[in-house]
Amino acid sequence: MTYELRIENLTVRTADDTVLVSDVSLVCGPSNPICLIGETGSGKSLVMHAIMGSLPDSLSCDGKILLDGTDILPLSPQQRRELWGRKFALLPQEPWLSLDPTMRVGAQVAELYTDLRGIGRKQANQMAADELASVGLAGSFDAYPFELSGGMAQRVSIAMAHAAQSPIMLADEPTKGLDRALCDVVADLLRGEVAAGRTLMVITHDLELAEKVGGTVGVMRKGRLLELGTADQVLRNPSHDYSRELVAALPANWPVRTPARAKKSDDIVVAADSIGKSFGRNTLFSDVDVAIAKGQVTIILGPSGSGKSTLGNILLKLIKPDAGHVSWGDDLPAMKYQKIYQDPPSAFIAGQTLGRAFADLRKLHNIDGARINAMLDQLGLDRGLLARRPDAISGGELQRFAIARSLLLDPVMLFADEATSRLDPVSQKRVIDLLCAQVRDRGLALLLVTHDPDLAEHIADHIIRISDGDHSSLAAKAA
Amino acid sequence: MTTRSLQGLLLTRLLQLVAVVLIVGTLSFALMYFLPGDPALRIAAGRYGPDMMDNALSDMVRVELGLDRPLLVRFASWMGDLLRFDLGHSLVSGAPVVDEIALQLGYTLWLAAIAFVLALIIGPTIGAIAGLFPGSVFDRVTLVLSIAFRAVPPFVLAVLFMVIFGVTLRWFPTAGFGGWQNLVLPSVTLALGLAAMSSRVMRDAMAQVSQAPYFTHARYKGLSDPTVVRRHGLRNASLPVVTYLGLQMVYLVEGVVVVESIFAFPGIGHALVHAVIARDVPMVQGTALAMGGLFVLLNSLIDLACLRLDPRLRRMPS
Amino acid sequence: MKTKSFANLPTDVAADMMDGSRSVFWTPARITGAFILVCLLLFAVLGPVFISTDPLHQNYNAVLVGPGVDGYLLGTDHFGRSMVSRLAHGAQLSFAMAFVTAISAAVPGILLGVIAAARGGMVERGLVALSDIILALPGLLLVLLLLAFAPGEFGPLYLGLALYLWVEFFRVARIETARVITSPSVEATRLLGFSRLYVFTRIIVPALTGPMATLFAFAMGSAIIAVSTLSAIHVGLRPPTPELGAMIVELVPYYSEAPLQILMPAIGIFLLVLGLQLMAGRKS
Repeated sequence: MTYELRIENLTVRTADDTVLVSDVSLVCGPSNPICLIGETGSGKSLVMHAIMGSLPDSLSCDGKILLDGTDILPLSPQQRRELWGRKFALLPQEPWLSLDPTMRVGAQVAELYTDLRGIGRKQANQMAADELASVGLAGSFDAYPFELSGGMAQRVSIAMAHAAQSPIMLADEPTKGLDRALCDVVADLLRGEVAAGRTLMVITHDLELAEKVGGTVGVMRKGRLLELGTADQVLRNPSHDYSRELVAALPANWPVRTPARAKKSDDIVVAADSIGKSFGRNTLFSDVDVAIAKGQVTIILGPSGSGKSTLGNILLKLIKPDAGHVSWGDDLPAMKYQKIYQDPPSAFIAGQTLGRAFADLRKLHNIDGARINAMLDQLGLDRGLLARRPDAISGGELQRFAIARSLLLDPVMLFADEATSRLDPVSQKRVIDLLCAQVRDRGLALLLVTHDPDLAEHIADHIIRISDGDHSSLAAKAA
Repeated sequence: MTTRSLQGLLLTRLLQLVAVVLIVGTLSFALMYFLPGDPALRIAAGRYGPDMMDNALSDMVRVELGLDRPLLVRFASWMGDLLRFDLGHSLVSGAPVVDEIALQLGYTLWLAAIAFVLALIIGPTIGAIAGLFPGSVFDRVTLVLSIAFRAVPPFVLAVLFMVIFGVTLRWFPTAGFGGWQNLVLPSVTLALGLAAMSSRVMRDAMAQVSQAPYFTHARYKGLSDPTVVRRHGLRNASLPVVTYLGLQMVYLVEGVVVVESIFAFPGIGHALVHAVIARDVPMVQGTALAMGGLFVLLNSLIDLACLRLDPRLRRMPS
Repeated sequence: MKTKSFANLPTDVAADMMDGSRSVFWTPARITGAFILVCLLLFAVLGPVFISTDPLHQNYNAVLVGPGVDGYLLGTDHFGRSMVSRLAHGAQLSFAMAFVTAISAAVPGILLGVIAAARGGMVERGLVALSDIILALPGLLLVLLLLAFAPGEFGPLYLGLALYLWVEFFRVARIETARVITSPSVEATRLLGFSRLYVFTRIIVPALTGPMATLFAFAMGSAIIAVSTLSAIHVGLRPPTPELGAMIVELVPYYSEAPLQILMPAIGIFLLVLGLQLMAGRKS
């Protein structure tokens, strides 16, 4: 048994014959992991579930899925299930949701020894504790899932795969919802599995993960495998247009923005003087000085929960600081300071069409209708979308509508609060490019909150770094 | 999510008990003084029993209480009696209220306990099966039954059972208490009403759990379906049901009052309704306190069950 | 157990297969409920117009006759009173009482809920404490205690029910308003320069409409159950008032002679409550 997994001409169809996955062929094995890259809806998840044998009944598969040369696709559902755990281990996305919330972690590992391998309860518990210790979770046997961090939950699911002795691991978006630092940890864990001789398949939209895992990389879009090759080849020198776009959209590959002209004192739109904020005993930051100028990109960078959005909201005078003072240039009206939100639909009135939202805005501020149209055109937004409600529009488009809405008020400053973190890389690049164009063309002051250092490094004039409960104030970007 | 600890939880229920005592005590006090007729006579009868009553006693009470004293002082002494469990005598039977309640409470507890256990056997079982097979014939049939039973008030169900199983078929007695047979119709009436609601909560919870990532993943781990349902399904699905049982205690306590009255079952609820009709204020106060206390007790038990089942509530830092 | 629903799969797979559909208001259940209620309402309103028989008129020559006998459409009760007339008046009474009670509970409940959420602080804490105190006792017990002041009268019955039912409106309105007020959509709308009034009419009111309509239907159902129950146990409305619950209990002794008569008011209550519960939809 070498546990080589070979897929030949896999096609997945719905009952009404819509093709969801078309003619996918690939191979992976113990020393050759594979990463399938693609966006939501690209069909990469369907490929993985086709291998697992866990597609909905309404979908049908053609082609071959060969496990060491034996086609497993013709097997009965019951026979396919026999392979779960014993041959295939699924590393779930957002693993903290995949652990039973009311059962101790140790028991959830131990049940694999008792149920899959017939080991006695007592010995199983001992083995589970040892296994948890071997993935770096010694002492977590009695913990409940809600007491674990995201990275720890990921280790538990790997411990489960070990406990079941599954030779093949299918990892489903293993870095989804994790901070960058944790993503690297997960990549190391996966590499460890490859080194231990397991066959690994990873489904992800995270190009950096794919690069770190190495092996083969496949790019999927609209159910087709566009490109297949070594990680180096596909990620450094992609041959397909879409792959090129995808790779170019990665912040690390962005061209560095030309720095803004030198700051003049009368261009300051927000000045904050030794401000501080705490929630209860937790000091988010203290004694921070900020000066935000027109025509510049200022970035607040930090991990989630560090208080970077709070700092932005203080600068926008939405939250009062505990200490210090925030002043706006020339005492401009509040409307000149606008905000773009992380979750685009939540910033719009649910149930109200975009057309109504813009009509109300137009009436309130006497905005010329032609200007609205020009703005939408400029942001590449189809006017036909105005008839829709916020929940019927893609996140990237809705975010651009939110930007259009704000720009119509001629703001001097725009605060983008993780405004692109929920968008796919291509949409993210588009939105960031649009914002940077506004900075350049109309001298907008852009304040951007992000957790992505690559993004920050590539577009910022100034970076304010906040790390857990600590900060280092205003660090000018190295030229 | 609210953070709850054992102490916080018991404190909340203690406050609820205080509220019950205040509401019942205040309304009873108002009843005693503001109903038409001579309050002194009524209070004297309440204190010493109607048989012992004569004008001398009522005059004594009048002087002693000083009905011209400020309302607040009289109210304080009323609540003082209440807190010392000095609930007085029934204006109708003359027996001490505490003795009457002690007797009736036993019947009511039996009825409530049997109804509750029956409902627990029927409701969640049906719900769990329906939830594992959403959209199945069983799911649809039990849905229709549940909707129908929820639209029938307990007293209508009680009357229908009475005329069908008591009057026509003569399987069970329809009134009073002579033995376990008298418990059957009232408790089944209550249990069906309770189960009609809890079965749907369990059904939805089970259906939701079986879609949860941890349930799906337990199958991917290679566990068999019965194991997954038993080990990872039922406990998680029972959490919202147990929480819902707390809400159902309102239905149970109200239902006890109604069903006891219809079946002339000699419990607290029946006594309360009779006391209201006869304006037997000490009995109204005593029985309402007992029912209210029972309600708080049941709520506390449900709280403890929630805490026992859900580790997130236990370990949450407060 | 087979994998039937898309929700079993990661969103990625589901995204390929479904398009987002908005939840519809007129579900089959709601249509059924509305149909039942309209029929009952027509019967309650038009019945007394077309059937001129006084619901209190006794005819000892036609006691407990069956439906269709002696010109009585649905027969008579033990005093020879027209069942159809009593049912129509009973339905009218139930509808009216339930509506008046629910309105009296909803208006202050919703207003106080919105105020509590918008104001916060002492106002909110005080109102929440008050609602907790009222919920300390089961509603029926509270109503019974008030009824002890004047058993059989409409006043304390109405007061007690409204006093208990407003709490649910208050709680849901408060939570829902608080949820909406802290949402980014309100902050964004205010940042764009829109007034508080705009936020109230365009965001808070639409968010409250659905849940409040559901609660209203439930409150009417609860009121109908409570009034008929209390009348059935002789502390609510009293004979000879044609109240559906009282009618059922009054007819129990005559069940062997006239089994249909007891079923008629029972079906009336059942349909009323069923219609309201179906209209209400599900509590979320």
